[in-house]
Amino acid sequence: MKKRRKNRKIEAKSTRFVKNLISVLLIAYSSLSIFLIGNTILSSFKTKSDLINNTIGWPESFTLENYAIVLGEEHFFRYFLNSVVLVGVSLICLEVVASMAAYGLAQYEFKGRGFLQNYFLVGLMFPIQLGILPLFIMLTKAHLNNNLFGLVLIYTANLSFPVFTFSRFFRELPTSVIESARIDGASEFQIYTKMVVPISKPVIFTVGLLNFVQLWNDFFLPLVFLTKTSVRTLTLAVYNYSANFLANWNKIFAAATIALIPVVIIYFLFSEQIVAGLTGGAVKG
Amino acid sequence: MKKRKAYLGFIAPGFILYTVFMIIPIGCAVYYSFFNWSGIGPMEFIGLGNFKKLFTDARMSRIFFNALKNNLKYLVCVLLIITPLQIFFAYMISIKIYGHKYIRMMLFLPYVISTSIVGFFAILLLDPNIGLFNEILGAIGGPDAKLAWLGDPNLVFKIFVCVVIWQCIGSGMMIFYANMQEIPADILEASVIDGAGEVKKFFYVVLPMIRSSMTTNITLSVIYAMTMFDLPYILVGPQGGVNNKLDFVNMVFYRYAFGGSYFGETSIGFGSSISVTMFVIILTFSLVTTRVMRRFDD
Repeated sequence: MKKRRKNRKIEAKSTRFVKNLISVLLIAYSSLSIFLIGNTILSSFKTKSDLINNTIGWPESFTLENYAIVLGEEHFFRYFLNSVVLVGVSLICLEVVASMAAYGLAQYEFKGRGFLQNYFLVGLMFPIQLGILPLFIMLTKAHLNNNLFGLVLIYTANLSFPVFTFSRFFRELPTSVIESARIDGASEFQIYTKMVVPISKPVIFTVGLLNFVQLWNDFFLPLVFLTKTSVRTLTLAVYNYSANFLANWNKIFAAATIALIPVVIIYFLFSEQIVAGLTGGAVKG
Repeated sequence: MKKRKAYLGFIAPGFILYTVFMIIPIGCAVYYSFFNWSGIGPMEFIGLGNFKKLFTDARMSRIFFNALKNNLKYLVCVLLIITPLQIFFAYMISIKIYGHKYIRMMLFLPYVISTSIVGFFAILLLDPNIGLFNEILGAIGGPDAKLAWLGDPNLVFKIFVCVVIWQCIGSGMMIFYANMQEIPADILEASVIDGAGEVKKFFYVVLPMIRSSMTTNITLSVIYAMTMFDLPYILVGPQGGVNNKLDFVNMVFYRYAFGGSYFGETSIGFGSSISVTMFVIILTFSLVTTRVMRRFDD
């Protein structure tokens, strides 16, 4: 009996040792991400000569020279605005269109409702690349190629996941409250804008966050649809630097910082909500 | 009466956008894949000709199957390395090892970083001329110790997998973690009272309970693996780098669909046949995954 207890004690001790070892290793490994981001931000303030000897570490002196070059001469201000406009307009359109469609599907009884619900889900199964060639031909014919608005249309049409997320929330809405508003003479659209939208803020927020991260970072669709410099987005501009790394290595840190800052700030403020949206916990919260 | 028509107004905008810009293009892609068509001029119906060319033409089939092999190789790496790592990390966080909040936060961080910046980080470390790794190797072992990294045909795929691990581990890990949180506490406590250690508890209690997130993650991974594009394109360019070691089906598709001026040939019909083939493969894998996982449930 005693021996057994002793064994268990030894076991507990060794388990604790293994756990601590794993946690040290994991902390070290996971710090890589913050190290790389931090170093990029720090290096963006270094002078060109400082960068040569001092790729990693604190800058000798902080300079805004790189930002002046990148934002001014290299048109990053333009690329930044392109990204902001593209993502901003797409998000607004997507929220409005997806929430309305989901509301219509969740709160009304009509013939063919089940079919429509599945119809909106079909998009989850198709990789975006499957339809991209016909889309390209379509947009070229409509003179919307190399046009931010053309890409807004494609992003807004990618409705499956947002409609799915909104639908799950709308299905739980208290029907009695909506019914009584109806009896009071509110129009259907008023019920939606004055009652449903305000109580849906958490879902709207989650859908917005997830799509912000995805659209801000999207590489493939801008690569295909925005080939002209005037409509280039930040991700493409950063890629163009890293593809010619030797020629641009002093500018790329500032460029990457400009692209990183918005998402990193949002991540540290709202990482819990991003996770919840990703894992489907949004509805419970 | 007014009330019953209202749903039309709500659904119509979404329905129209979704149909015109999602569903119809997919139908068109399938339709185009049966034609010989460069995008301008007349379309010539050639039945399965494009697919035949893709699978049997000496040059084309070599390119295609090399790329497909890389997709599958990557998928195997996902199933054997990335998914187990995700489960392991998720479990470590769920048993609240020291620093678990920090680890969770930092491991998930790459999820919000654009692939073009992930590529930049990799190049920053791996550039043969001024990359950090070669500076370290050069300082230790002199100029001979330096490696070509992404330029080395034997290393390039391994490096690629390492970068993917760093970039993608967080999202799957979070899905597993969320699933582990749902395991009722009393089941875990009961297993501890029965004397199960952490390892036993993991294999006999936790692992069987996370089947649903396993299905989700594997399905997502299959789609991601078969449509792999951004990272290899950014790391080694549209041709797949040295000896096409990092060429993927989606990159072949991109070259034939959009890269006409660079790669000599643009064919809408042929490009479509590649994307349709890719989709058929994804669909098959997804069905198999669902079937296999369902069998586990019984």
